[in-house]
Amino acid sequence: MFILKKAQLMTGNEALARGFYEAGGQLAASYPGSPTVGILTAVKNYEEVYGEFSINEKVAVEVGIGASFAGGRTMVSMKHVGLNIAADPFMTFTQTKVNGGFVLVTGDDPGMASSQNEQDNRIFAKFAHCPILDPSNSQEAKDFVGMALDMSEAYHCPVVMRITSRLCHSRSVVELGPRVTKENPGFSGELQHYAMIPPNTYQKQYDMKLRLEALEEAANTFEGNVYLPSDRKDVLILTSGLMYNNLMELDLGLSIYKLGMVYPLPIKKLEELSKSYERIFVLEEMMPFIEDELKLHGIACEGKAHFTFTGEIFSEMILEGLIKAGVVDSSLEIQETPVNTVARLPMFCAGCPHRPVYDILKKTKKKVIGDIGCYSLAVLPPFEVSNSVISMGASIGIAKGMAKINRMKGIQEPVIATIGDGTFFHSGITGMINMLHQNKDENITILILNNGLTAMTGGQENANTGHYIEAADMRVDIPALLKAAGLPAVQVIDQFDYKEAKRVINEAIKHEGLSIVMTTRPCALNFKIKEPAYYVDPEICIGCRSCLKTNCPPILMRAYEGMEKLKSSIDPTMCVGCSVCSQVCPVGAIKRSEVK
Amino acid sequence: MNKNIILAGVGGQGLVLTTKIICEAAFKAGFDVKSNDVVGLSQRGGKVWGSVRIGEKVYSPNILPKSADILLGMEPLEAYRWSGSLKEGGIAIVNTKTIAPVPVMFEEAPYPEDWLEVMEQKYQVITMNAVEEGVKLGSSKVANTFLLGILAKRLAFDTKFWLEAIEENVPAKFLDMNKRAFEIGYAY
Repeated sequence: MFILKKAQLMTGNEALARGFYEAGGQLAASYPGSPTVGILTAVKNYEEVYGEFSINEKVAVEVGIGASFAGGRTMVSMKHVGLNIAADPFMTFTQTKVNGGFVLVTGDDPGMASSQNEQDNRIFAKFAHCPILDPSNSQEAKDFVGMALDMSEAYHCPVVMRITSRLCHSRSVVELGPRVTKENPGFSGELQHYAMIPPNTYQKQYDMKLRLEALEEAANTFEGNVYLPSDRKDVLILTSGLMYNNLMELDLGLSIYKLGMVYPLPIKKLEELSKSYERIFVLEEMMPFIEDELKLHGIACEGKAHFTFTGEIFSEMILEGLIKAGVVDSSLEIQETPVNTVARLPMFCAGCPHRPVYDILKKTKKKVIGDIGCYSLAVLPPFEVSNSVISMGASIGIAKGMAKINRMKGIQEPVIATIGDGTFFHSGITGMINMLHQNKDENITILILNNGLTAMTGGQENANTGHYIEAADMRVDIPALLKAAGLPAVQVIDQFDYKEAKRVINEAIKHEGLSIVMTTRPCALNFKIKEPAYYVDPEICIGCRSCLKTNCPPILMRAYEGMEKLKSSIDPTMCVGCSVCSQVCPVGAIKRSEVK
Repeated sequence: MNKNIILAGVGGQGLVLTTKIICEAAFKAGFDVKSNDVVGLSQRGGKVWGSVRIGEKVYSPNILPKSADILLGMEPLEAYRWSGSLKEGGIAIVNTKTIAPVPVMFEEAPYPEDWLEVMEQKYQVITMNAVEEGVKLGSSKVANTFLLGILAKRLAFDTKFWLEAIEENVPAKFLDMNKRAFEIGYAY
């Protein structure tokens, strides 16, 4: 049993925030996205640090660049796909002579627990000529932030901290330290280092090459890279991040080289080691990044031939790969006996304001272009009504492109796009203004599902939250904004008035031209509905299942005594009283309770 | 002591907080701890699971197949789904209040009503309708705390650590109700 002084349990996300605080971090910016939401949420607990959820990742990086220029220690965090939108400033910023330490945290999501793709951002970091740190537990997550900031200042480059979703949400012990303060040199304004136009950029290509060469040299002695030799001299396992702990768990007695920095690699050290081992295995999730780097340097190794290229790699999968490769004995194999039973996919919450909208859209039998947010759940059964989900804000541009082609083909098919308020501000607004260009009155309906905040990631404030929460400091008026841009008047509806909402949406879909409809009910998780529960009168219920089709968690068909047909029922402990089911009931069988 | 605990439930049932309380109680008792707080979409009715590993030294937060000592099932179907991760003879603590998944709601698949029968053939199963018990105390929100009490009885550390962890993590106005639920679970 061990007792640590000033230690506590932290998730990887909380540890990154703590590390930033201890390292004298001054400005942290982010855009909420799983798995990294918890970093900025935790940063906000430290008064000395300025933290903001910016309007999108591009703006977060730009705010971060400003802070770094001004000499402040900076951390910008985002989910992996966030770097796609932030790539523009990031790819040029990386050429500059970084002043205040700049760490960019990317939350990669092997297995896509909550993402639309599985891109491996180590590739991105290499593309940007940046070193990559890859922590294996919360303690390292904390320690590596300070090391990254020091490295950033010493080599004048941004440092990428790659963390995976599992580590973000895994709790482990972290020893706490005091906050250090750094002297701030201020912004020199040297044109050749910060004004990135040619010819200034010419020299920068050399600077980036030189810094990577210096970092490759430093990697040989970097304290985060740890060589752990064992008695077995035939096999060396090269690994990083949580894979290291998954391997250690197996206690196989193999020699391990644990990388804390996965780019650039300690090539000299690895060349040397490769001479003393017969086989080198690379254990890494997703792409063969380390494996490819080794092969580029002429170091023979094995990796993806034995371990999956997609999803997470658990201990038992490591074991299986090593058994197949003939490295460990097959008697160690672990047999899994999964229980196959009914699937349980996520669904809209009880009282969710998206429910009536998608119920109405399903009844139109039209195709719907979805976007990123809780409403992407409308892809799943029973709705199956969002026919496309691509990237933040994409629904609007996609709708326009489809409408143009439909017109060329002479198809009279209305195009419907749905987008939430958070996504609208993130990057839907640009697509919206683009609607004005060469508008030939194609039949497009855009539904802005305004639920008051950025809901899917836990309810962060966005540019319109001030209309819902008094204390929120932004209250952009979406209809006024679009009106000022010259777009058609936004029809504002309350979707809990089901009939009226249905009428407005159906008319918008019929209208030959651009229609914009905005719903106004807030997120039911963050703005609890506290109405009396509804109940089904089985004597009136005809068992038509109209209520069931709205797919609300408390609604279930059940047998009532003395009745042959199954009738609907509502679990009163789960019902919040939104009334939507009672409004879709054709016979008035669903009634409101007298008391809460 | 080395204990592997799997938690399984439905998004919105409070799995993250429950995982956190177990971790903190074990940490207060002087153990190394690693957890997976939640995997899956939280709060939206999907299947969610977490894990807590307690011991002298723990590397991975993940539990190897068939290596869990205790399964904390917040919902029967989810407990059943994860029962394969238990050791032979392991303990399953299950809240019997069912929540129908979409295929059951739409009468495309039956709810596996035989979950208890099947699980009892291999494991020691402790059942409680914790939602009903919670309502008796004043709120279904304390359902998980009964389960924590049942769990605490099966882990060898002092209840004071549990009570501290609960106090630090539940709203003050629900503290007494949670303490009571913990005690009922502990004595169950």
